[in-house]
Amino acid sequence: MAAVLSPKEFATATPAWWCPGCGDYGVLAALKQALAELGRQPKDVAFVSGIGCSGKISGYVNSYAFHGVHGRSLPVATAVKLANRALTVIAAGGDGDGYAIGAGHFLHTVRRNPDITYIVMDNQTYGLTKGQSSPTSPVGFVTGTSPAGNPEAPINGLAIALAAGGSFLARGFSAHPKQLVELLKQALEHEGLSIVEVMSPCLTFNKINTFAWFKEHVYYVTENLDYDPTSRAQAFKLLLRDDKVPLGVLFHEDRPTFETLSRLGATPLVDLPLQARTADYARLLERYR
Amino acid sequence: MILNDIEIMFGGQAGDGGLTTGDLIAGVFKRMGLEVYTYKDFPSRIRGGHTNYVIRACEHANYGMADHVDGLVAFDLEAVEAHVAELRPGGFVIFDNSSERVPERLRREDVTWYDVPLARIAKDEMGLALVRNTIALGVLATLIQMDRDVVSADVAEVYRRKGERTVDLNLLAVEAGEAYVNRYFTEWPCNYRVQRRWGGDRLLMMGNDAIGLGALAAGCRFMAGYPITPATDILEWMAKQLPAFGGLAVQAEDELAAINMVLGAAFSGVRAMTATSGPGQALMTEAIGLAGVLEIPVVVVEAARAGPSTGMPTKTEQSNLNHLIFSGHGEIPRVVLAPGTVEDAFYLTVRAFNLAERYQCPVFVLTEQALCQSKATLPRLDVEGVRVERGKLVTEPVVADDYRRFAFSPDGVSPRVIPGVEGGMHLAAGSEHNEAGVITENAANRAAMMEKRMRKLEAMRPELPEAIVHGDPHAQIAIFGYGSNRGPIVEAQDRLAERGVATRFFEFRTLWPFPEDEVRAFVADAEHVFVVENNYTGQLERLIRYVVGPLERMHAVLKYDGRPFRPFEIVEPIERHAPARARSDYLSAAKQTVRLKARR
Repeated sequence: MAAVLSPKEFATATPAWWCPGCGDYGVLAALKQALAELGRQPKDVAFVSGIGCSGKISGYVNSYAFHGVHGRSLPVATAVKLANRALTVIAAGGDGDGYAIGAGHFLHTVRRNPDITYIVMDNQTYGLTKGQSSPTSPVGFVTGTSPAGNPEAPINGLAIALAAGGSFLARGFSAHPKQLVELLKQALEHEGLSIVEVMSPCLTFNKINTFAWFKEHVYYVTENLDYDPTSRAQAFKLLLRDDKVPLGVLFHEDRPTFETLSRLGATPLVDLPLQARTADYARLLERYR
Repeated sequence: MILNDIEIMFGGQAGDGGLTTGDLIAGVFKRMGLEVYTYKDFPSRIRGGHTNYVIRACEHANYGMADHVDGLVAFDLEAVEAHVAELRPGGFVIFDNSSERVPERLRREDVTWYDVPLARIAKDEMGLALVRNTIALGVLATLIQMDRDVVSADVAEVYRRKGERTVDLNLLAVEAGEAYVNRYFTEWPCNYRVQRRWGGDRLLMMGNDAIGLGALAAGCRFMAGYPITPATDILEWMAKQLPAFGGLAVQAEDELAAINMVLGAAFSGVRAMTATSGPGQALMTEAIGLAGVLEIPVVVVEAARAGPSTGMPTKTEQSNLNHLIFSGHGEIPRVVLAPGTVEDAFYLTVRAFNLAERYQCPVFVLTEQALCQSKATLPRLDVEGVRVERGKLVTEPVVADDYRRFAFSPDGVSPRVIPGVEGGMHLAAGSEHNEAGVITENAANRAAMMEKRMRKLEAMRPELPEAIVHGDPHAQIAIFGYGSNRGPIVEAQDRLAERGVATRFFEFRTLWPFPEDEVRAFVADAEHVFVVENNYTGQLERLIRYVVGPLERMHAVLKYDGRPFRPFEIVEPIERHAPARARSDYLSAAKQTVRLKARR
């Protein structure tokens, strides 16, 4: 087991730049803390993020950070892991990045179950474009693009992931740093795709789902001693309730990873010899003779 | 009697098994020492619908389709109706008359008709309807005197996997075809003959396979793709072959995921590629821009087909050239390579990987259906000669405070670390950034960073695949073209030369960065310039004009009916326009010709 590091090892020279009080600061701090406590080295962390306020997070963690195009962090992260299984691979983005423009990849990455961690920073709005409705906005949410109120039912990302075969589903709250660090640590240690949805309120554009609102609605599944996070049925029941916001590890199971089922060889792709092996090619060319 | 120059067309319904027999015939011709080119004209469905498979065999390497079909093997009347007009006078038809008759209006008198009840013989004498293709092979082999030993050996080889009984049945089927010819057609000899010759140690390979081989040889160890005609073969080939080399091919949920996976793998230090066609290429455009700005080496194979939209998925076209060169928001350095032969598809794929990594940018390998899904004979590939050049890749620890992932440099290329390297942590952001990778909108930095990235286009020039000039380098008539049109253009040149018309042909192998100096020099003293391409708007012709300015005697020879050029379609406009110095409306006249041709 690697030695515990200081979260400062993961600090960048560039300071984080969100609105004062943004929930994303809590996610950033918790992630650095979790990585440090697990003793992960910055050089071995690949952090892929999408576009939006939340997408900026990869630039604030000292790591191999990849800030790509909107909605595509998961395919990039999946391939980084395939290329080099020694890396700790994390993907992050907002509710728009993951559940709207990237929804297709979300579903298919859950099916694949690569050994990566995906953090969805959910603020239920599009912050960086100044407050439009998002896939997790409630019905009736009034914004510039939904002046008569959002007509679409919000997406239930974790329930979808559960139905698609998700192997680790957790939800945290950015105002609960201690619990969030623990959730992220468990997620990072899970072998397979670990999804951590973090309720990360937007102070500027979401006047409904505020910190105060969440504090009234959240609870931890561990409060109920009968809750079994290895039961898919219980997890479904929980996720389909809409009066409260359950937090904690909602579901986990052991399932073979994409890397395993793809039958990757013992040598990571990145370490394979590139120069042609004559005998292999002779065999290949034989059929064309 | 025409010796060793024949084009056979196998025509029937899709799914009838003509493909296996067509491949078999191509293999026999190859083993007889002939040069072979095949072309698949298939509908975009799996069973039913007219389909034909063309096999050209001659003594010239890298020819494409001939001017006409010499021998039509028609399994139904529809094949006769569709193609009898394409037969060369003196050609022949093998027609399956088991259940249909050819009406008199279609019975051309200048071709020889060999009516054979193929299906009936198969069912009644052999007890298996499927072998009618092999009976047709026996008929053809006997008529044109294919080497009997080679035919038997190849039939045995092809059906070996299906068991001894199937092999024996097919060998008997060949004999049945042979017997039928000897019994009924001795009075009607065929005008064509093939004869064994020394062809050298060669291979017979499809363009897409050559790309797969090139990728493997170049060290590609990861591929992600999404099935799309006519590029799917590459994903399937790589999925089968990569594991033996420790690598992996992934079928993604869409092209967006595929290209982003390639970026992820390449960012991590693995040589990676994708292969797609027009519609998929459109979806990949945004991420290719990202590869440009993140300076990630990616290789993208574009197997072009007829567009726009779904277009004609199984037909050939060269209408994606503009798309590859100009698509995307913002400006990035990119390379577009275009092999003109199956052999060159291997070598240019290898070079694509080296260029991508040396210059840390996206490199396209552009082919068309008429090249990538066609088989051709080629000399042995020089696999041992392949050198993997990784450029400024850094795998040793760097000093974190000093390291600049996007450092300015004379050639625009910066030292590239990969995840796992001590000290190399940085942000790779699609947002504009400084040398260290930190996002900034500083004006001076922006200008310098644009210049740094675009500088690569000039730095790489000496390493780009050079054009090949075919024909007489001093000829007054200049021709431009690329890709699968190389075969028909070269054959047209040979035809013109026989008639005393000298030509020179500039075969582009690098289309971007555009070889401006070479093109300008090539047209400088030309009397007439012909640009031959498979599209409506003359994309290459416009590109040439864009660089060299207006040229009075520039003719676009365009074909956009989804089929490759036949040599006469190039000979004709050249003969018509080149000698006529007085005319000023060359361009519009040339376009007129081609439109007529396309409607034919």
